[in-house]
Amino acid sequence: MPEGKAAAADEEYVVQMKGITKVYPNGVAANQKVDFCLRKGEIHALMGENGAGKSTLMKMLFGLEQPTEGEITIRGEKLSLSSPSVAIAHGIGMVHQHFMLVPSLTVAENMVLGMAPRKSGLFLDHAKAVEITKQYAEKYNLHVEPEAKVMDIPVGMKQKVEILKALVRGAQILILDEPTAVLTTQETAELFKELIHLKEQGYTIVFISHKLNEIMQITDRLTIMRGGRSMGVYNTCDVTMEEISRLMVGRDVVLNVQKDKAVPTDTVLRVRGLEYVNEWNKKMLDRVSFDVRKGEILGVAGVEGNGQKELVDALFHFNTPSAGTAAVNGVSILGLSQQRIRELGVSLVPEDRMLFGIAGAASIEENVLSDRSADKRFNRGPLFNMKAIHAESDRLIEEYAVLCKSRRQHVSMLSGGNIQKVVVAREFSNDPVLILADQPTRGIDVGATEFIRKKLVELSRSGIAVLLVSADLNEVMELSDSLIVMHNGKIAAYFEDTAALTDDVMGEYMLGLKEQSADEIGRVCHD
Amino acid sequence: MLNFLKLLLTPEFFFSILRISAPILFATLGAIIVEKAGFCNIGLEGIMMFSALAGSMVSYYTGSWLLGLLGALLMGTLLGFVMGFFAFQLKTDITLVGIAVNMMGSGGTLFLCKVITNLTEGKAMASTTGLITSGLCIPNITIPLISKIPFLGGVLSGHSLLTYLAFLICGLTSVILYKTSLGLNIRAVGENPNAASSVGVSVLKIKYVAIMYSGLMAGFGGAFMSMSYAQGWSQDMVAGRGFIALAAQAMGSGECLGGMLSSLVFGFAQALGIKFSAIGLDSNLASPIPYAVTIIGLVIFALSRRSRDKKQRLTAKK
Amino acid sequence: MTKRRQVVFTLVRGAVAILIALLVATVLIFVSADGAGFSEKLAATGEALRQMLAGPLFRLSKTGASFDLKRLTDIFAAMIPIIFTGLSVCIMFSANQFNLGAEGGIMLGAFVTAMIAIYVPMAAGLHPVAAVLIGSLSVAVMMLLPALLKTRLGVSEMVCSLMLNYIVMYLIKFLLNTYLADKTKGQIQSYEFLKTSLIAPMIDTGAKLSWGFLVALAAVVLCGLFMYRTRWGYAIRMIGINQAFSRYSGMKVSLVIVMSQVVGGFLAGMGGGIEMLGRYNTFSWSSLPGYGWTGITIAILAGNNCYAVPLAAFFMAYLSKGCDLMATYAKVPSQLIDIIQGVIFLFFAAEQFLSHYRQKLVVKSAQEELARKKLENADKKEGGAANA
Repeated sequence: MPEGKAAAADEEYVVQMKGITKVYPNGVAANQKVDFCLRKGEIHALMGENGAGKSTLMKMLFGLEQPTEGEITIRGEKLSLSSPSVAIAHGIGMVHQHFMLVPSLTVAENMVLGMAPRKSGLFLDHAKAVEITKQYAEKYNLHVEPEAKVMDIPVGMKQKVEILKALVRGAQILILDEPTAVLTTQETAELFKELIHLKEQGYTIVFISHKLNEIMQITDRLTIMRGGRSMGVYNTCDVTMEEISRLMVGRDVVLNVQKDKAVPTDTVLRVRGLEYVNEWNKKMLDRVSFDVRKGEILGVAGVEGNGQKELVDALFHFNTPSAGTAAVNGVSILGLSQQRIRELGVSLVPEDRMLFGIAGAASIEENVLSDRSADKRFNRGPLFNMKAIHAESDRLIEEYAVLCKSRRQHVSMLSGGNIQKVVVAREFSNDPVLILADQPTRGIDVGATEFIRKKLVELSRSGIAVLLVSADLNEVMELSDSLIVMHNGKIAAYFEDTAALTDDVMGEYMLGLKEQSADEIGRVCHD
Repeated sequence: MLNFLKLLLTPEFFFSILRISAPILFATLGAIIVEKAGFCNIGLEGIMMFSALAGSMVSYYTGSWLLGLLGALLMGTLLGFVMGFFAFQLKTDITLVGIAVNMMGSGGTLFLCKVITNLTEGKAMASTTGLITSGLCIPNITIPLISKIPFLGGVLSGHSLLTYLAFLICGLTSVILYKTSLGLNIRAVGENPNAASSVGVSVLKIKYVAIMYSGLMAGFGGAFMSMSYAQGWSQDMVAGRGFIALAAQAMGSGECLGGMLSSLVFGFAQALGIKFSAIGLDSNLASPIPYAVTIIGLVIFALSRRSRDKKQRLTAKK
Repeated sequence: MTKRRQVVFTLVRGAVAILIALLVATVLIFVSADGAGFSEKLAATGEALRQMLAGPLFRLSKTGASFDLKRLTDIFAAMIPIIFTGLSVCIMFSANQFNLGAEGGIMLGAFVTAMIAIYVPMAAGLHPVAAVLIGSLSVAVMMLLPALLKTRLGVSEMVCSLMLNYIVMYLIKFLLNTYLADKTKGQIQSYEFLKTSLIAPMIDTGAKLSWGFLVALAAVVLCGLFMYRTRWGYAIRMIGINQAFSRYSGMKVSLVIVMSQVVGGFLAGMGGGIEMLGRYNTFSWSSLPGYGWTGITIAILAGNNCYAVPLAAFFMAYLSKGCDLMATYAKVPSQLIDIIQGVIFLFFAAEQFLSHYRQKLVVKSAQEELARKKLENADKKEGGAANA
C-alpha cells in the first residue's frame, strides 16, 4: 500500500499518534495499531465508514477515551490525555456531531459557559461576553449573532458557535466530527471558507467525514480507516476518488451465505414518492420509490446518515413523512398506530434494541409476549393460559437458541447477541408478511449473527418479504437478493442481483461518485 | 350581587390577596429554581411544615423573631441538602424523596412539637399557638409615605416584613437566574447537563445549590405561616401550599414573573373563598376553591400550550 | 447474581433500612422519655421500645409477656384499609403513574358507602355488597379526572390527584356538616348505618375484626392474578418498565394508563367502604385518614408486588400499634410512626444504598460461575480422554 510522499520528518508534526490500539472490555477492537499524524497548519481528513474506528481515534486524541496500547505525542511532548480538560489545556478542541449547546441561552452565554466574565463580583458581565464573542467571530471570520438564542439560530451558525467555543478556550488543533452532516450545501460552502481562513492563520484541522467531494475540495492530506486499521495516509492531490473509494469500502473477508436463489412473487410493500424533512429542515428522504416482494430480501445499503433510518422510521410510524405513500398488501401504513401496523403483518427489528426492542427489567417470556398478549391462544377468558405461554416461550427459546438460565431470566442479564435473539424470536414468529430489519446484527457475537442471518433467509424463502437495512457491507451484499443504495436521501442505484456486485462498484454508488439513470433505478418498482 | 362586588373592591381585600399569596410565592420560587436545574421538588410541602415549626419554636426559646426566622431558614436549607443527598448520591427517585419528606412532615412535626414542649414546658402541646405572642412574630411594616395614599395605602402598607420580602426575592431570583454566572450554570445544567459538564461545570454541585435554594425558599414560606399568617404553629397549617406551588410553577411557564402572577391568582382564589364564607358561605365550600382553581389553571395552561405548539408547527411548515 | 443471592440481598437491605429507622426512633424516644437523669431516661426508653416491639402482640407485665389474641386481631383489623390502599398504589405505581389520590379515594369510598348504608335500605346480604361496590365505583370514576388529564393534556397526575384529595375532603365535610349530620349527637357524625348494611365481625374478641379482612385477602389474590396473570396487568407492568417498548409492541398505552388509575381508585374506594361497614356505625371522618400515605409506604416495601402487600401491611400495622401503645404507656407521641415510616421509605427506595455490598455479591457470583465452568470443562476433557 503506498505510504507515499505524504510521510515527512518527525519534527514537522504537531500531533503524532503511533501504534494506537483500543480494545473495549467486551472484546471489540475499535482501533488496531493505527498511526496518525498531523502537520501544523494543514486540513487533514480522517475518512472511513461508520464503525471504521475514526471516531474512536479522535475521542482518544480529545481525552474522552484512553488507548489500550500506543502513544500520543503533542508538539514533541509525549502525553497521556486522561480527560478532555487535559486535551483542552494542550490546545486541542473538538466540535462534536451532536452540539453541546444550551438552547435557551444566547450565543454569547454559551460561549463563556464555565469561564464566564464577572463584574462587581457576582454578576455576569453580559457586555463582556458579547464583546469576547464579537472579537473572536471577527478574528476568525465566523459570523454569529451574540445576542441570539441558540434555539433560534440556524444549524450552520450553531456549528460556528461550537468552533468558536473551542477557539476561545485556546484550541490550536480543531477536530471536527462529521461537520457537514447537518448542513445545507450553502452552509457547507461557508464552513469551508472559514476553515481555509483558519488554516491560513496557522490552525490545524482534522476533518472526520466520508463525503468524498468535500474532502477533495479542501483537505491537504487524508487518512483512510477501515475495520479499525489505517489504510494509509495520502496527499489529497495524489489520489483519485475511485482509489479512495476502493480503500474505504471493501471487505477483508467476504462472507458467503448459503442460500437458494430467490423466486420473488407478488409485491408486499409498495413505496412511492416518499419524502421526509427533518427538524433542521434537511430533506432526508427525496422521492423514494421501491417495491419489496414476497420471497425476496431487498437490502438498503449506504453510508449511515443518507436517509436509511428515516425510511424505516417512516414505515413504522416513528416519524411523519411530508409526502408520498407506503402500502402493505394494498393497505396504506403511513400514520397508522404501531398496533395497527403490526395487525397488518409488519414486524420491525429496531436499530435501538435497548430502547424499543426489549423491556430490560422484564423476563424473556414477558418480552416475547409483548406483541401478542391479547391473542386467543394465550388467553382463557380473562386470565392468561400460562401453560400455553410457557410452552410458546420455551419453544421460541429453543428455536432461537437463546442462551439463558430460564424463561424467567431478565433480558438485561443476557449477552448482546442473546438479547437480539429474543427480539427476533418475537418479531419473526408472529406470522409477519413483511419484516423490517434495521441493523439486525450490529454489535453482537458471531454465533448470534450467523443464526439471525440464516433465519432471515429461511423466512424469506418461505414467502415473507424482507427489507434489510444494514451498514455492514458483508451483510447487505451477501444476505440481500437485490439491493438499493441510498445517497443523500435518494436511491442512487438498484441492483437486481447482488451476486455479481463488487466492493468497488458499491463504493462508487455509496459515496456518490456514480448514480444510475432514473430508468435503472425505476426497475425496483415492479408494477 | 352588586353588594358582593362592593365587598371585594376594598383595600382590605387586595391587602389580603397579597398577604395570602406571599407564602405560595415563596414555595413557587423554590419550585422554579429546581425546575430550571432540571428536576422537580415535591417535598416543598414537607419542608414548609418543618420550617414553620422550627421558626416558631426558635422564636419562642430565644425570644427573638429574627432568630426564629433564621432557624426556619436553616431548617429549610438543611432539609433541602438532605433531600439532595438521597436523590443525587443514594439515587432515590427524587419524587419518592419528596413523598417521604411530606409523609414525615405531617405527623413528624406534631411529634417534635409535643416532645419539645413536654421537655421544656412540662406538658406536651399540640401546637405552639399558646406560646407565641405577637412580639415573637414577624413584624408588620408601615411604609411612611405610601400608607397615606388613599386606597393604595391600605393595599400596600402594613404588610408583614416577609410579604415584602417575598416579592423582593421574586425579583432577586430572576436576577440570579438571568444576570449571574450561577444562574447561567443552573439553566445550562437543567437544559443540557452534557454541555455543562463538557465545559467544566459541576452538575452535582449546581443541583445541590438549586435544591438547597428551594429549601431556603420553603423555609421562608414556612416561617411566614407560623410567624405571620398565623400566630404560632399548628398541625397541617401549610394545607397543600407546597403542592399548589408546583402548579403555579407550571402555569407561570417556569419563570419568576409568571410564577408570581400564578401565586396571585391562587391568593385571589383563597381570599375570595374567605370572603364568601364571611358573607355566609360554608367554609367547607370556600376552602376547596384554591385547589379547584389549581386544577382548572393547569388545564387552561395545558390547552393554551397545545394550541400554541400547533400554531408554531403550522407556521414552521410554511 | 443468583436468584437466591438477590433475595438475600433484598432482605438484608430491607433489614438494615428498618434497623436505621428503629435507631432514629430510639434516639427520639430517648429525648421524649420521662425521667430526670440519664439512667431513668434510658430505662424509660427501654420500656417504650418494649411496648413498641412486643406490645402489639403480647400483654406486657412486670413478670413477662403473654400472647394476647385480641391484640393480634387488632392488628389484622388495622390491616384492612391499608391492604386496599397498598394494592391501589401498587397498581398505579406499576404503570409509573405517581397518582397520590388513594388518600382522598379511601375517604370518598367510605363516604359513598356510608350514604348507601344509611339511606338506601336493602336486603341483609345484598346491602353491604352493593354499598361497597357503589363506593368503589365512585372512586374509580373520580380517578378518571387525573388519568384523562394526564393522557390527553399531559397534566401532572400527581398535582391533580393531590388537589383532588383536598377537594374531596372539604366537599364531604360540607355535606356532612350541613345536610347529613345527626344533630342529636355531640360530635359531627352521620346517622347510623342500617343494621342490614353492616359487615359482621369475624371473631368475637372485641377487636372489630370483620369479615372484611377475608375480603381484603381475597383482593390481594385477585390483584395478584390481575397483575401477573391477565393481559391488562401485564400491559400495566410493561408500560411501567418501558413505555416506548410497549407502544412499539402494539399496546394501547393511553388506555392502559387510564385503566391503572381507575382500578387503583376502585381498590382505594373499596378499602374505605369495607372499613366503614366493618368497624363503624356512623360516618364521622372529618379529615383525610392517612391510609393513603401508608399505602404508598406499603407499595414501596412490597416492591409493587401485590402478593407482598399483606406482609408489608402487617409490618406497618404492627409498628403503628406499637407507636400507639408507646403513646399510652410511655407517653411518647404516637406520631413517631410517621417519622419511622419516612426513614424506612427513604432507605428502602435508595438504589445506591448498600450498592457496594451488592457489587461484591455480583462479583462473587461471577467468579463462582467461572470456576464452575472451568471444572465442567476439565471434567469433559478428562471424560473425553478416558474414552479415547
